Amino acid sequence: MRIIVIGAGKVGYSLAEHLIAEEHDVIVIDKDDEVISRCSGSLDALCLKGNGANAKILLEAGVDKANIVISSTENDETNMLSCLISKRLGAQYTIARIRDPEFNESQMLLQNELGIDVAINPERATALEISRLLRYPFAGSIESFAKGQVEMVEFKAGPQDPFIGIPIKNLAGEVPSMPKVLYAVIERNNKVLIPTGDFVIQEGDRVFVSADMLKITEYFRFLGRNRQKIRSVMILGGGRISYYLSRMIVPMGIHVTLFELNPEKARTLSELLPKVDVILGDGTDEDLIEEQGLSQMDAFISLSNRDEENLISGMHASRCGVPKVVVKNSRMTHLDILNDLGLDTIISPQFITCSTILRYVRARENSNGTKIERLYRLVDGKAEAMEFIAMKGDAYIGIPLKDLVIRNGMLVAVIVRQGKVIVPFGNDHIETGDHVVIISCESGISDLNEVIYR
Amino acid sequence: MNRKLIIRILGAILCIEAAAMLPSLFISLYYRDGDTLAIGVSLIASAVSGSAMFFLVRTEKNVHLRLKEGFIVVALGWILLSLFGALPFFISGILPHFEDAFFEAVSGFTTTGASVVTDFDHFPRGVMFWRASTHWVGGMGVLVLTLALLPKLTGRSAHLVKAESPGPSLSKLVPKTGATAKILYTIYGALTAAEFVTLILLGLSPYDAAVHSMATAGTGGFSNYGASIAAFNSVPVEMTIAFFMFLFGVNFALYYKFIIGDHFKAFYKDEEFRWYFFIALSAIVAVSLINLSHYHGDYLTSLRYSIFTIFSTMSTTGFVTLDYSAWPAASHMIIILIMFVGSCAGSTAGGIKVIRINMIAKLSRRNIRATGQPKKMEVIRIDGKAVEESILSQVAQFALMYIALWLIGSLIMSFDGKYDLLTHLSASLTCISNVGPGLGAVGPAYNFAGYGLVAKLTGSVLMLFGRLELLPMFILFTRSAWKKY
Repeated sequence: MRIIVIGAGKVGYSLAEHLIAEEHDVIVIDKDDEVISRCSGSLDALCLKGNGANAKILLEAGVDKANIVISSTENDETNMLSCLISKRLGAQYTIARIRDPEFNESQMLLQNELGIDVAINPERATALEISRLLRYPFAGSIESFAKGQVEMVEFKAGPQDPFIGIPIKNLAGEVPSMPKVLYAVIERNNKVLIPTGDFVIQEGDRVFVSADMLKITEYFRFLGRNRQKIRSVMILGGGRISYYLSRMIVPMGIHVTLFELNPEKARTLSELLPKVDVILGDGTDEDLIEEQGLSQMDAFISLSNRDEENLISGMHASRCGVPKVVVKNSRMTHLDILNDLGLDTIISPQFITCSTILRYVRARENSNGTKIERLYRLVDGKAEAMEFIAMKGDAYIGIPLKDLVIRNGMLVAVIVRQGKVIVPFGNDHIETGDHVVIISCESGISDLNEVIYR
Repeated sequence: MNRKLIIRILGAILCIEAAAMLPSLFISLYYRDGDTLAIGVSLIASAVSGSAMFFLVRTEKNVHLRLKEGFIVVALGWILLSLFGALPFFISGILPHFEDAFFEAVSGFTTTGASVVTDFDHFPRGVMFWRASTHWVGGMGVLVLTLALLPKLTGRSAHLVKAESPGPSLSKLVPKTGATAKILYTIYGALTAAEFVTLILLGLSPYDAAVHSMATAGTGGFSNYGASIAAFNSVPVEMTIAFFMFLFGVNFALYYKFIIGDHFKAFYKDEEFRWYFFIALSAIVAVSLINLSHYHGDYLTSLRYSIFTIFSTMSTTGFVTLDYSAWPAASHMIIILIMFVGSCAGSTAGGIKVIRINMIAKLSRRNIRATGQPKKMEVIRIDGKAVEESILSQVAQFALMYIALWLIGSLIMSFDGKYDLLTHLSASLTCISNVGPGLGAVGPAYNFAGYGLVAKLTGSVLMLFGRLELLPMFILFTRSAWKKY
């Protein structure tokens, strides 16, 4: 597809990179000379210098033939205007990053009147992700597939976990009472592995398991992980993510203590969030947060504007014994180093925005030839889960999986048949109309027949 | 440094060279001039070493070519290409000294067209065809061809095209580098075919037509006749070739714009094209008037020769229809100036390029104005768009380096004491600008055969510098190019 990306900041650049890897024709527009010269060196894309809301530049970029226009500049108004103009000039589909909550309240109007097909709010998407993490505090990340029926949860293997040291295929025999889940992905020493039957999980591995919600809950109960339930949360920084997050978790019965340095902001927040304890002060001040009961908190979430501050505060909180620490980090690089620091959950709004937009692009692509229903990026983008629908007449239909060839480095994670979730083992088979979730280390797969064949 | 990746790309280049030798092999089989073995051996040598480098060396996934490496690949690739391209000349015994064969191959790939061949009557036709094929492959660039055929060879392939394509900045036609390369080669092939057909219609044999259209397309200038185009002694043939030489000196992006719907607007709206056209036109008018007395007032004859000579020189092709050594000095001076200018960026021609001359002219005008009004901010525009200052300074430096290299080349050549100053100066210039014939003892009626070993090697190096626009070759001489990191 022909995709125009306006604004090559952290999100725009990463988007362009992924879209090019997926063989799209990408045109990047940015108003900064230096950004453009960097992009034209490292991206296999057409890079144009100019304002994305300028019709002349958009026409030069071929907006009239564009399948998708993604506007991800810093500025909401520019993004809206770019989408509006692009749509009028003939672009088929537009995606805008719109962060201001004020605009979000009139989202329907914006979408209908301005021709924005999707408005992405990075802060809201991030808050949503954090709120999900608070529901499963033991998890590093959670993804749900097949309309939320299947979940994939990431956790760190501990020394007392019963599956340590046993090949996966023998687990059912040696630990019969353990609920059956699929070990979808293992991350060891920053390497992503798709486990086979002979694989042995070691202590310290990041394990991604998937099953339906009920099984997952049972599984973690068996492992003894879900004893911790989150009742109190401390949030550092009173930005937009904090605001959205508070609004999401307060109704869940979670008590929130929020630190904000700026008196005006603190006042506004306390006005908007009556049930939240808004503390005027520096959240990096050890004494102050200790006084507010840091060590008794169930979770600590560091969402200030400065990555370094977030990291340090996060490390401090985990040393004080807070069981769940979530840290915001804007850079998408060096994630592996951060994992080594012992912070189990690092969240990047840019990363979340990027994967959300990619999801829309791929959904859009369905109508353009490939057959991926939905696509999820896992393990910091090192692996992907793809949801396909099994088509009538495909070669794999009705044959037990153990008799089929499955492409190297890939795994059939879940089959959803008429709303029923099947975690597949060798004797299971795929029927026409099944939703099949494939987990893979490589990207660029566009058809289920490329993955499973006879 | 990604040595493995570099070796793989070089391997791909050699494989493509082997493929490019195939037509010559068939020609040699057809005419049976006794050169089949020479071409066959060269083909196998390139194919075997190329595929060994390409298939035996494994690179890790997701390895990107860095900017510096892009330049190194291009420079090494061209040297390797010329070394293997010299084999048919060497093995067939036409040029028994390897430095001669190398000079001929470099001259072919860089589309210079300067030759060291003296005996055209006993030249086997297969090798002769290979000599013309080198022009065609070198004209649009061998890495561009590699990317057109193997777009997935490496990430960040824009670096390669940037290092190989002439001009101050790279203009992509479509988002993907590989697709851009394909479009360029399609246009290139179509124009070459058009010339081939026209020449056949004008009565040339298919062999002559093929050799001359490939040599025109690459703006090279190797003919299979010692007298070059004069051998046909036909005005229509001359004018056809002149017209196509002019076409191949135009930025190929304009042809793409022409096709996708801008029509002739693509040309007259382009500032570089207007300058190119205007410079060529004024040179033709000037030279034809200067030569009027030389042709005893016969303006049409004067015009005929000046049209061909100016288009041939400006497009840096170097075909000749007469020995213009006898022309007045003023005409020679114009020819020398035009050798400097060359044609448009993004074409197959050499020289400093019209766009750079254009920028330098505007830069000089701004500097002169600034002496009176030092505080005035003035942006330099091309096609109405502001040009970045960094590009302007690069362009000015490029022109300086070009002139310096020309003079240093002349200096080294002048140690070959046989000839006069004009010969050395023009020989060096004709090499770096990829034209072909110079003046004096390397004039249209003669060639580089009389020069010694040192001068020939200097000429070969200058041709490579000129074709790759200096920087890729210069980088080979930096210490950091050979470091591991």
